[in-house]
Amino acid sequence: MKKVININFQGRVIPIEETAYETLKQYIDSLRRYFANEEGKDEIINDIENRIAELFSEQLKKGDSCVTDAHVAAIIASMGRPEDFEEMDAESSSSAGSSQQTYTQSTYTSQAAEPPRGALHRNDNDKILGGVCSGLAHYLRIDPTIMRILFALITLGGFGAGVLLYIILWIILPASPLSTNLKKRMFRNPDGKIIGGVCNGIASYFNIGVWIPRLIFALPLILGAVTGIFHNVFNNNFDPFPNILFSGFGGTLFIAYIILWIVVPEALTASDKLEMRGEKVDLESIKASVQGELQGFKGRAERMGEDFKVKAQAWGEEFKNTAQSKAQSFAADAGPVARRVGSGLGHAIGVLFKAFFLFIAGIVVFALFIALMAIIFSGAAVFPLKNFLLEGFWQNFFAWGTLVLFLGIPVIAGITWLVRRISGAKSSNKYLGYTFGSLWLIGLVCFILLVGSIRRSFDTRARIKDEVTLVQPARGKLVIKVPDSKVKYYGGWFRGGGILTVAEDSLIMNNVRLMIVKSEDSQFHASTIRYSYGNNPAIAERNAGRISYQIHQADSTVYLDRGFSVSEDTRFRNQRVLVTIAVPIGKRILIDRSVDRRLSWDEITVGPHDWNYEDNDNDGGSWWQTDVEYVMTAGGLERVDSEKNRDDEDVDKNKKMTQPEENQNKDDKKYRYKKDSTENKIEKKDSVKATRTVFIDDPNQEEEKSGAVESKAKTTISFLSPFQQLLAIGS
Amino acid sequence: MNIENTQSQMRKGVLEFCILSIIKRGEVYPSDIIDEMKKANLHILEGTLYPLLTRLKNSDLLTYRWVESSSGPPRKYFSLTEKGATFYSELQSTWDELANAVHAITQNGTSTLTSSNNFNQ
Repeated sequence: MKKVININFQGRVIPIEETAYETLKQYIDSLRRYFANEEGKDEIINDIENRIAELFSEQLKKGDSCVTDAHVAAIIASMGRPEDFEEMDAESSSSAGSSQQTYTQSTYTSQAAEPPRGALHRNDNDKILGGVCSGLAHYLRIDPTIMRILFALITLGGFGAGVLLYIILWIILPASPLSTNLKKRMFRNPDGKIIGGVCNGIASYFNIGVWIPRLIFALPLILGAVTGIFHNVFNNNFDPFPNILFSGFGGTLFIAYIILWIVVPEALTASDKLEMRGEKVDLESIKASVQGELQGFKGRAERMGEDFKVKAQAWGEEFKNTAQSKAQSFAADAGPVARRVGSGLGHAIGVLFKAFFLFIAGIVVFALFIALMAIIFSGAAVFPLKNFLLEGFWQNFFAWGTLVLFLGIPVIAGITWLVRRISGAKSSNKYLGYTFGSLWLIGLVCFILLVGSIRRSFDTRARIKDEVTLVQPARGKLVIKVPDSKVKYYGGWFRGGGILTVAEDSLIMNNVRLMIVKSEDSQFHASTIRYSYGNNPAIAERNAGRISYQIHQADSTVYLDRGFSVSEDTRFRNQRVLVTIAVPIGKRILIDRSVDRRLSWDEITVGPHDWNYEDNDNDGGSWWQTDVEYVMTAGGLERVDSEKNRDDEDVDKNKKMTQPEENQNKDDKKYRYKKDSTENKIEKKDSVKATRTVFIDDPNQEEEKSGAVESKAKTTISFLSPFQQLLAIGS
Repeated sequence: MNIENTQSQMRKGVLEFCILSIIKRGEVYPSDIIDEMKKANLHILEGTLYPLLTRLKNSDLLTYRWVESSSGPPRKYFSLTEKGATFYSELQSTWDELANAVHAITQNGTSTLTSSNNFNQ
């Protein structure tokens, strides 16, 4: 409840709250004192009054019924107090200073001697929720921001104790508009902010380069990202964000930033910005020291006097209110308080929302960045393989284009952007962005062409099948082993995945699988099927033909080659070998552990997943474990000694099932082994290729080639849609 | 010696020049000057503008005339006098010289110094 009076102000009739009028009058008086020695002081005051009157009538036109305290405070902030002028206007400062001095002495001496803080109040002028922190800070003469951070910490650390304390103080403490008693305050600086202007404000407060706080906030995140990348590359564990944002130092800073964003006010008016830099303090102190005057002190004394007056009024009001009824006053306050709370909470929620979205965006950017780095790292790791993969000038060209432009440019651009934002450099030329963008587009084209070109290299698949005649073992039991190679290569990077190692000019691959099937007759049979891809059937067949993979026999032991080499000339076209051993019913077979250890199948899935869609090559295979003796029965392989096998199972838990699912249709036989009568004739450790069948799987050129393919092979041609192939390449 | 003092001295030096160059473009109302300077991110308190205008007017550099306003009393619109125009062009040439000199010294000096300066901005 406030009294409204009408004043005639510069020829306009202005309805104004009585308290607001008092404030305005004081303000104009202070201006008059300030400009007392100025030549055209009346004119200046007149101009300023005129402007204020104009602002008032604008305000009233907007629909406000009268000019309030808040309006006057806003106008004073935008016009500036005499203290604010001083550093903008050093010329007149000395004269103004002296005038101020005389005035202060004459008018305010008695009041200035009073204790400046009086009692603990909530601050109406500067509040986020109820002005409790601000009031406490005013009482203790510290920055309200510090008080707010303290409360935030108490709330976070003390399980909400801060909130309770805050509410209690909110209820107990009376409110009053307090003017600041500090010369320098922390603000968020909206000029040149990146996120919330927090770093910028800190930099202004401590008078340091803005890049320092930014680096302090960003560095743990960047370091986290880098360690995250290495973590991901070496542990194959893609988990970029929880480690970085929520643990350790980086996480603490992240939360600290959000708290600061919420509690630190934004510097909106000119005087806020001056206060933020603390300019007037330093000027005052300089003047005080240089001129040897007490002016700085006087200035403060004057403000204290003002404060006191305002407070006295507030106290009077407060007293009246208390006399009436505390409850009533609370009810009367409830409206504006609720609005205040609303806007305060709104700000906090808004910041939290912003932080949340920023957070999500950050995670996305981070994940992309790390994925990029990982791709580049692994690309570099695979680089020695490129000679085996890429064919001709253009593929190499596209590969380089992809690596440098498509993958490299975003990383470089990201780093550039980050450094620029942190250092606060303004983007001087927009062409940088265009350049990056167009280079990246070129890289994208390179990437698409490379993928297309490589895909074409895997267009056609050829399969060459060779029968290997075996000497029938004397005791009806065949042992299969893979001997150690004479020369071993230890090239740490490329173990596994079907690639054994990379030699100087050839790739040693052990992409070989052993399959055990049931023999149609009473003989052991063996066959190898060599697979390769190529641009066209002829090349695919040539590639498959160049695979040199042999099976040797010594007594009842069959030795499979350790691997096969692919020359740089042939290139890597996902060459594979399938060894099939057919075991007659009643005969035994034992597969040595070395088979599992030294041969590797799977992993590389360039080209279609043909084992799933393949024609009958895969049929009839039984699953097996190494170092277990099996006997072939009508129902498939069976363990010879089941009890022993159980022990084996415990011991050999780590042994893989090469083919986990038992083949269901063992009965509809598709054995295509010719019943050769070559048994018992083969020399030891010598392989004989008895027959040869060439199969070409080429969805596109099947017709052209079909004439050349044997009629038998025609039935086994599998049609794979280009889409499936693309999928397989993509994976 | 401290940085704020130097900074505010620097700003103060160009303040009159900026205000005069805004007025030079044509008759202008003081609060428009404030708005334009705010747009250029050069903050000035309104309370300091009026004394400055009065001072310039008293030195015969500015003149004003009353313009009827649709709302309320007439407003003061400021414009440059002949003397003010000469004054302004002198300031202009001084500024050009100064800017060139400052630019030459800060930019073409030793490169390490320049880069570190830029970084600290």
